[in-house]
Amino acid sequence: MTDATAKSRPGVVRFIGVDFDFGALKAASPRYWTWVGVLGAFMAVGAVAWLVYMTHGGAVMAMRDGTPWGLWFTNYMYYVGLAAGGLVVYASVHLFGAEQFRPLSRLAVLLAGVLVMLALLGIVTDMERPWRAVWMLLTPNPTSPFVYTGSAANIYMIICFVDLWVLITGKGGHKLALTMTLIALPAAIYLHTTTAFVLSMNKSRELWHSAMMVPIFLTSATASGVSLLLIVAYIVQSLTKMKFKPSMFRSLSTLLATVMIIDLFMLVVEILSIFWPTSAEPGHTIRMMEFFTGTYTWFFVPVLVLGGTAFALLSRRKTRHLPAVQITAASLYVFAVFLKRYSLEGMGFVRDPLGQYIGLYVPSAVEIFLALGILAFGMLLVTLALKVLPIEVPEDDGHGEPVIDYDAEFNAAARAELEPEVAS
Amino acid sequence: MSHENGRVSASEETAEFKATISRRQFLQRVGIVAGLVVVGAIPAVLTSPETLPSADGAESGAPTLASKINPLQHIIDQDQPVNYPGKPVWYADPAGNQKWAMVIDVKACVGCRKCVYACVKENNIGRNSGFTYIKVLEMEPGSVDLETSNANYTEGGSPDKWYLPVQCMHCAKPTCVYGCPVKATWKEPDGIVLIDYNKCIACRNCIVTCPYAARHFNWVDPEVPKAEINPKVPLQQKSGVVEKCTFCVQRTRNGMTTACTEACPVGARKFGDLNDPNSDVSVLIRTRRAFRLKEDLGSGPMIWYVG
Repeated sequence: MTDATAKSRPGVVRFIGVDFDFGALKAASPRYWTWVGVLGAFMAVGAVAWLVYMTHGGAVMAMRDGTPWGLWFTNYMYYVGLAAGGLVVYASVHLFGAEQFRPLSRLAVLLAGVLVMLALLGIVTDMERPWRAVWMLLTPNPTSPFVYTGSAANIYMIICFVDLWVLITGKGGHKLALTMTLIALPAAIYLHTTTAFVLSMNKSRELWHSAMMVPIFLTSATASGVSLLLIVAYIVQSLTKMKFKPSMFRSLSTLLATVMIIDLFMLVVEILSIFWPTSAEPGHTIRMMEFFTGTYTWFFVPVLVLGGTAFALLSRRKTRHLPAVQITAASLYVFAVFLKRYSLEGMGFVRDPLGQYIGLYVPSAVEIFLALGILAFGMLLVTLALKVLPIEVPEDDGHGEPVIDYDAEFNAAARAELEPEVAS
Repeated sequence: MSHENGRVSASEETAEFKATISRRQFLQRVGIVAGLVVVGAIPAVLTSPETLPSADGAESGAPTLASKINPLQHIIDQDQPVNYPGKPVWYADPAGNQKWAMVIDVKACVGCRKCVYACVKENNIGRNSGFTYIKVLEMEPGSVDLETSNANYTEGGSPDKWYLPVQCMHCAKPTCVYGCPVKATWKEPDGIVLIDYNKCIACRNCIVTCPYAARHFNWVDPEVPKAEINPKVPLQQKSGVVEKCTFCVQRTRNGMTTACTEACPVGARKFGDLNDPNSDVSVLIRTRRAFRLKEDLGSGPMIWYVG
């Protein structure tokens, strides 16, 4: 990582072994600063929305006793899920030697860390008295899934940023990168599992109370996360100097199609078990019908339609290598998974535990602006990091595996086997 | 671990170096595995609140002395404190060794909602809050079907329907208490589930996890006309936190009955102590065909219905 040219340039500050290239910000185009300004405006509106909430209390939100959680929790599930994609790609580089993904590894870890930060910001801004969160540390209740998902998100965010530092500085070489993967991968699975537990560990909410919730969370997290990474990679490629090989996108979309179909399959199995005559329970079917013919139809049916379309696009051999097709499919799925999270939350709340009809939850303006402000903050972090941090992975990033020429080894072994025969 | 290591290496000094190392390694590995097993078992132990009632209760076939005296003993045994901080937070300590319970006669209930109004007044529920601790469900004749029940029926009730009042059940296995991430709610020794309004972080997980929709969040600051404020119940502290029925703890621990029981014009509600075999609730549960709402969930509600 001793980049001689970077050191000689002005505006480069070296801190904890990382070259922060603040000079690049000065040289940035007006287009870049317009984009930062737009994000800043959204953040300002979000800050105002938060202020309104803090002064007026929960009444400005659309949440009520029937829907005690709102957009902030949809976003928590969604952002935590999106963070998974980065980790899968990053882990497959260092764990399984998927070298084609190496150029993406830093970007992937950066995205994962920022997304989990956004998920946590959603929780903090939902609390009327954020300082009371200290009780989570002082008197945590071991039987509450909230304790596990909250701590997991915090730990995972820290792991991601430490990981980014390790990848950028190249400290510890291949061995440390592998160790970090072995820490990060179980942490990610732990995070998604405990997030699913927040829903599935409730015998009070019929449609959530299913162990299937955990694998569905894992697959839709991976599918949406990889989709997002693919989209971001295309955007970064068109806007910055970073360039990726078409073969990398091909591998990414193959991985995507595989996870998508597993994800859709599990959803269909879950729906089947709700409606099958020998397993259908009135409490389940009455609630689920709200998602096919009731108030949540426009949020749930698109999940199946968009998801199926995305898979079909990526499975057509003739066109699946085209960037336009890949971007369309990935965008459809990222959107479909948001609707899926939204419906999933609605499944617990469309009727309350006493069977009373609650109906559709639509977030209020304050909730929407707050969520957009948080999203803008995340996008700003990534925008700045792409300029300031060395996100582009150089040819030799210090984490490469020792090169083993398998062909040569095989040939030598084959020769050694054959030689005695030749001699005799 | 280190203690074991020291002992082993001291006693085996004369033995072959190789053997000492291998034994030390062996002990270390055993220690590590044992440690992992213990660490892995902690969440399993902590997260399994369900215990079978038949261990020494009346259901095992051989009734114990206690269950001969009081056949409700197995219910009382289940009704133990959970996450109890051990000190009074809002109200006085339990007066004795009572186990509070309520019996509601659904044959008598006419759906007049007198209990609801008395409760709102007694417990400083914000008049602008949009919720009440007690919900009366209007049931269609012929079934106990919550999905077709109506909590917003027109005032007064209808003679061709029947009525099921629902409120906090003060469950023996309260899912809300298990679900609270910060132990801001707990079950007291006398069975009442209480909330510390100064500790609640407003995550609303207890609302989600309650099977009886008994908990309510103060989305607005609760407002009560000054003349109607009950000084024995907190009011300002309830803004932005969860609240619910407390079995009128401020009354029942001072020898009174709950406000809803007192207000019921047809005497459909009985409140009392399960530990007292002659209390109304004990006699009713013993002698009448009593049932509990959603008993199959196993949360052990402490409100019975008789018809």
